Amino acid sequence: MITKEATAAAPAPAPAAPEPPRPAKKRPAWDEAPRWQIYLPLGIYLVFTLIPFYWILLFALRPAGSTSLVPWPMTTVHFEKVWTDRSFGTFFQNSVLVGVATLIMTTLVALAGGYALARFDFKVKRAFMLALLCSQFVPGALLLVPLFEIFAELQMINSLGSVIIAETVFQLPLSMILISNFIKNVPYSLEEAAWVDGCNRMRAFRVVVLPLLRPGLIAVGSFAFVHSWNHFLFALMFLNNQEKQTIPVGLNTLMSADSVDLGALAAGGIIAAVPVVIVFAFIQKWLITGFSAGAVKG
Amino acid sequence: MKISILGNSTGRGRRTSAAVALGAVLALTATACGDDGSGAGDGAEGSGKGEIIFWDNNGGVRTEIWKQIIADFEKANPDIDVQYVGIASTEYQSKVDTAIQGGGLPDVGGISASMLAGFAAQGALDPLDDRLGESSLSGKLNKDMIESLRAAGGGDDKLYSVPTSANNGVLYYRTDLFEKAGLEEPTTWDRFYEAAEKLTDKGANKFGYTIRGGAGSIAQALDAMYGQSGITSFWDSTGKKTTVNDPKNVEALEKYAGLFKKVTPAADLNNDFTKMVAQWDSGEIGMLNHNLGSYQDHVKALGADRFRGIPQPTGPGGKRVQVSNPVDGIGLFKTSKNKEAAWKFIEFATSAQSNSKFNESAGQVPAHLDAAKDEWIGKAEPTKLAADALSDGSTSIVQLPYYLPDWNTISKAENEPNFQKVLLGDMSAKEFLDGLAEQLNEAQAEWDEQMG
Repeated sequence: MITKEATAAAPAPAPAAPEPPRPAKKRPAWDEAPRWQIYLPLGIYLVFTLIPFYWILLFALRPAGSTSLVPWPMTTVHFEKVWTDRSFGTFFQNSVLVGVATLIMTTLVALAGGYALARFDFKVKRAFMLALLCSQFVPGALLLVPLFEIFAELQMINSLGSVIIAETVFQLPLSMILISNFIKNVPYSLEEAAWVDGCNRMRAFRVVVLPLLRPGLIAVGSFAFVHSWNHFLFALMFLNNQEKQTIPVGLNTLMSADSVDLGALAAGGIIAAVPVVIVFAFIQKWLITGFSAGAVKG
Repeated sequence: MKISILGNSTGRGRRTSAAVALGAVLALTATACGDDGSGAGDGAEGSGKGEIIFWDNNGGVRTEIWKQIIADFEKANPDIDVQYVGIASTEYQSKVDTAIQGGGLPDVGGISASMLAGFAAQGALDPLDDRLGESSLSGKLNKDMIESLRAAGGGDDKLYSVPTSANNGVLYYRTDLFEKAGLEEPTTWDRFYEAAEKLTDKGANKFGYTIRGGAGSIAQALDAMYGQSGITSFWDSTGKKTTVNDPKNVEALEKYAGLFKKVTPAADLNNDFTKMVAQWDSGEIGMLNHNLGSYQDHVKALGADRFRGIPQPTGPGGKRVQVSNPVDGIGLFKTSKNKEAAWKFIEFATSAQSNSKFNESAGQVPAHLDAAKDEWIGKAEPTKLAADALSDGSTSIVQLPYYLPDWNTISKAENEPNFQKVLLGDMSAKEFLDGLAEQLNEAQAEWDEQMG
């Protein structure tokens, strides 16, 4: 890069005029409110939110038949039962596989599609964006039979691949829109500068744009993971082998037509919730940034 | 297009892209190796060997017992391998319907009377009369259960499902609370109402009864109505008009719905069986109407000595009237390419030994006559009382029209919200029953027309 050197001596700086006193910054109204006015409503809200979780924990940890309001004496028998007898160990592995594969595929394809939407103009771009948005209005249940027929034709019924593809396809529209908005926020001149320095488009994207997309990628990836982790319908319909089923389908089988083992159901619920809670605990900062930044432009 | 620079990709970049693409393809290929389990032959008898797939219509709680029966079967038939798939009862119908439309039905499936009409109407099931006639099971299964399944099967007088068990409505009551309050056993409707009132102490969060206001409320309300009115047939003598809105039934429903909030928790408005059973098992509620299926849950929660499960109370003149509970059974799907092996499995699963084992675990009334004489029945009091009530002539059963393809829609989605209105007092019992009757009469007329 060429820089222009100074050829003349710089004039001596004039003595700085005293700065006028700044008006005192007004504290926002919420900051002046007594603390209890903030913490009390939040505390009440938290109690309402946490009571159902406590209830699940209570049923999962106390022995069957106990009516105690504290999980004591504590038992892990319900967890052992669902993990081994009710095959939740296998369901968990399958759900992890489906979740991670959906996350990877959704992120990769959304990245490519989002880049194209952000950086290129093409004739049917607006119609394409509209179609992406409209695809969100179609419930998965409506497409079950056609999807089932397609996967049957491809010999993919009873394969986790069918669920991964279906989940990815349903995640893509929103993910692509989010990623494209993120990429639009990255100044185009940064890429151009990288090209001038000798990068091709792919390298410029990888070196300059990709690191700036981290919040967006985390938001899209985690959303894809959590959605596929919790999604029930495709796994129920496309998987026939007990060894290939996922956690939501397994949870559903804990309630029979006229009998329900509440301890096992609660233990299964905790097993299903823990990965989602962990994912959110780690990524919540990025998730909020990701969704708010990605939602700025349409 | 804004700009496009065609440069050379670096070798590293190409390798990364290729690795990602290859990884994705391999991952999908690896997960796509499964057998589709369709059994998609064209109804062939097969060799009587090889693999068959069995879909359990009440998977989960019964998975263990089915796995035991399958293990016994595979031991006795080493050439046949049964693949078990447990499906939650709430999702079974939609899964089978999707498989009927898209392909991929199993060889054998659990088929209860309540869903038989729909599957038979779609031509998904193989008639079993001939196979049963030639089988060692012939004459060994409960005739009433066979007739119930035959009647539910779609009007062609064919049997599409071999019965495994019958369920029955049970009135569970807390013996400890009754003793404490000095109340007599609720064997009549009058005693039932008296106990419901006396056991209620809202301030102390104690209630006499828990009513089912959410999913599944209609069957329970019908049971209470017919039980009190003493009407023993769902249709009048012409067979074209239902008796649900008979003035006696209207009066009975008014009285029954009047229990809501008076002697029941207000939350009962949204009670499905799970919530209803859970609050009965963990609270202080005097009585609960459910079926035999939840007996083991109550034993686990309360212990066998703190409650009893008896048949529904008797009505006027000491007569007991109950509505029918759907008989459960096993059917053979038409698309099976290994029907011989599939039938062997059905025969084995409904044999005396397997049927006894299954029903002991489920707490239901066995379909096999020899299994019904087994020792365990005497020990499971509600099952014994239900079996006696169903066979000793003391009880009249009102057969619900499971054969109507619209029955499930009418008795669930369309009328459960209206029943909630009745409980809340926003709709009168007469208005509700007149509406229900109109829908039923229409469905019956359509049915008659289709059947010629």
